[in-house]
Amino acid sequence: MNKGFMQEYFRRNGQFMGWGLLIAVGFWVIVLIILPQISMLDFSFRNHLPPPEMGGPKDVYTLKNYQYLIFGAENNPEAYNRVDLMVFVRTLIAATCVTILDLVLCYPIAYYLGQSKGGGFLRILVLLLIIPYWINEILRAFAFRIIFGDSGVINEFLLLFGIIDTPFDFIRENVALYAGLGYAYILLMIFPIYNVIESLDRNQIEAARDMGASWTMIHRRVVIPYAKPGISSGCTMVFMLSAGALAAPQILGGPSSLWFTQLIYQWFNSGGNWPQGSAYAVVLLVVCIIIVLTVMRLFKVNMGDIGK
Amino acid sequence: MKTESTLIRVGLAIYLLMFFTYLLGPLILMGITAFNSASFPQVTPWEVLTFEWFHVLFNDKRILNGLKNSFIVGFFTVILSVAIGLAGALMLTQIWPRIRATYYTIIIAPILIPGVVLGISTLVFWDRINVMLGFSDDSFLHNGIFLTVLGHSTFISSYCMLVFVARLQRYDVGLTEAALDLGATHVQAFRKIQLPFLMPAVGSAAVLAFLASFENYNTTTFTFQKYPTLTIELAQKVRYGINPSISALAFIIVCLTVFFALVHEVRTRRAQLAIANGAPVGAVKGGFEMPKFFAGNPAAAVLALFIAGAVATIAISQVYDPEPAKAILLKEKRAEQKKRIEALQERLRAKRLQKQFKGPDIFGSGQSKVPQPPSKTPFGNVFDPGNLGGTDPNAKPKDAKTPESPGKGTFGDVFNPGSLETTTGTGDDKQ
Repeated sequence: MNKGFMQEYFRRNGQFMGWGLLIAVGFWVIVLIILPQISMLDFSFRNHLPPPEMGGPKDVYTLKNYQYLIFGAENNPEAYNRVDLMVFVRTLIAATCVTILDLVLCYPIAYYLGQSKGGGFLRILVLLLIIPYWINEILRAFAFRIIFGDSGVINEFLLLFGIIDTPFDFIRENVALYAGLGYAYILLMIFPIYNVIESLDRNQIEAARDMGASWTMIHRRVVIPYAKPGISSGCTMVFMLSAGALAAPQILGGPSSLWFTQLIYQWFNSGGNWPQGSAYAVVLLVVCIIIVLTVMRLFKVNMGDIGK
Repeated sequence: MKTESTLIRVGLAIYLLMFFTYLLGPLILMGITAFNSASFPQVTPWEVLTFEWFHVLFNDKRILNGLKNSFIVGFFTVILSVAIGLAGALMLTQIWPRIRATYYTIIIAPILIPGVVLGISTLVFWDRINVMLGFSDDSFLHNGIFLTVLGHSTFISSYCMLVFVARLQRYDVGLTEAALDLGATHVQAFRKIQLPFLMPAVGSAAVLAFLASFENYNTTTFTFQKYPTLTIELAQKVRYGINPSISALAFIIVCLTVFFALVHEVRTRRAQLAIANGAPVGAVKGGFEMPKFFAGNPAAAVLALFIAGAVATIAISQVYDPEPAKAILLKEKRAEQKKRIEALQERLRAKRLQKQFKGPDIFGSGQSKVPQPPSKTPFGNVFDPGNLGGTDPNAKPKDAKTPESPGKGTFGDVFNPGSLETTTGTGDDKQ
């Protein structure tokens, strides 16, 4: 850093405040964010050793953990570690589906909230949106399990009206999982889009309408291009969070479909192999970041738009 | 043109209705299950209105312990994240422009990093530090609360930072400069000028931080060690056996959330109304202007209704005794059970007759379908499972299903979703 800046910084903040800020931010950025990630990365390249052997002659760097994810155990008859890779791919696809589902579900309401003139009704709507978000993640998943269970409300309802004869297993078919995940991140999709659309000048829409643009045309040519930063910010958050979700898959996931985070969880808890789990976590993180950056590049949106 | 706009309007109304059904329906249904006496959380079939699940909840030691840990973690997380978030936001306003974008990316990243990754990296990092320093396994670096607080603060600080950035955008730096010109030290200028301006943001950041910490699962599940928080306890309960006492907890949490949201709404609305009417904010804070106050403030009306509902519920729970209704239900169930058993016996008997008549009598199979009075059969004591099983091997699998073995079904076994039938069996046995 150049000296002039540091001098200016301390002149503006004073010695005490200046150092206080630097220490707090330094602690956050270095000790809480960067070093743990680096140490996880470092750990993922190590052998799985009992604590006394750490730092000993066997504690060398290895690619073993990543090889395991791709090729499976050494005596694996197949060319690739099909089970884990399939779980990974399925997680990413499912997260994409959840993101699209949320976008379709939330865009109209975000547009409606952003363009209406305010007032008591609107405020109540916003309140109703926020309330489910403050309910515990586990409890939200639990609610969906009650609804979609064999003797859940939906099954009872369908049986009552004779639409089906035997209870439909929503949990096994992952309907419950998608509904629960989509539900969990609705707010994260609505608010970024809402914030952007709120600042859209209503005259633009009026002008487009006056010049004869149809309803779909207005959205395609005026609203969506304007709301793009909000849409991509919402999609990024929903995608990352649903790919990294753990509670909903554990509670709502079918017995045959694992989520990638559940594999990581197993390596850490029942497996007890931390380096292997770290390697899986690194893969999840890196792939998610790559996907998000690619999508952001495609839609020409900056990182600075996130969190607005 | 006009029909089109009506169409859009109707479509919008339907959409809004469906959207909010999706949003609130699950929570409402979950709340209802807390009052159903069935031992599995369900709305249908409705059994008896009961408040027993709240008693079960309040006597659950693990839940209470989790609640305590959650509060401890939440408290420290709030302090740490609000301080760090404030520092991060202040730094953002004056950092060297060239590294500003990088800095922003780094401090916003924890929001996007999956929670499991944050938990793992925190755990691995402090474990490494612990090994490096040569501490034992039970040093404070391995303490569940310490790790959980740090793991939470990593990303909750980012939330707080965003809250402060929004508020700081409206801050006039000239105020601080004026204070400094007038001879205040930097600390004084911060404490007397900038901090009071930021106070509302501190409040909302603290609430946000506490709630985010309280409901976090993904990060905590890797860092809690010996101090499970409420969320962890809940997750284990939900994963290994569902029970309506969780619905009771959810009901309480939903009610508290709604209550505080409404209180907040009423207060902001009141301040707005006051300002709109040209009155100073302080003037309306005292009195409680009834009719006018309600007219412009739907939230207040809802709040009043809500409180009335809560009071009524508590009053009912004190007076109401579900036992008589339960007894009736038990009787009904028992009658149904008996009917089912009799039907089963009938079927068994028919089968046995069929077997007996097979071969020698070709008309026997037709005859055996005719129900016969039980006294005529040699198998009078059908209630003894061993008896049935011994005589007819075909009956065995069905017999296992009948709830006649009272040994298994104690009332303590309410966690078992299938215990509904066995419970009735015990009731039978008691009489």
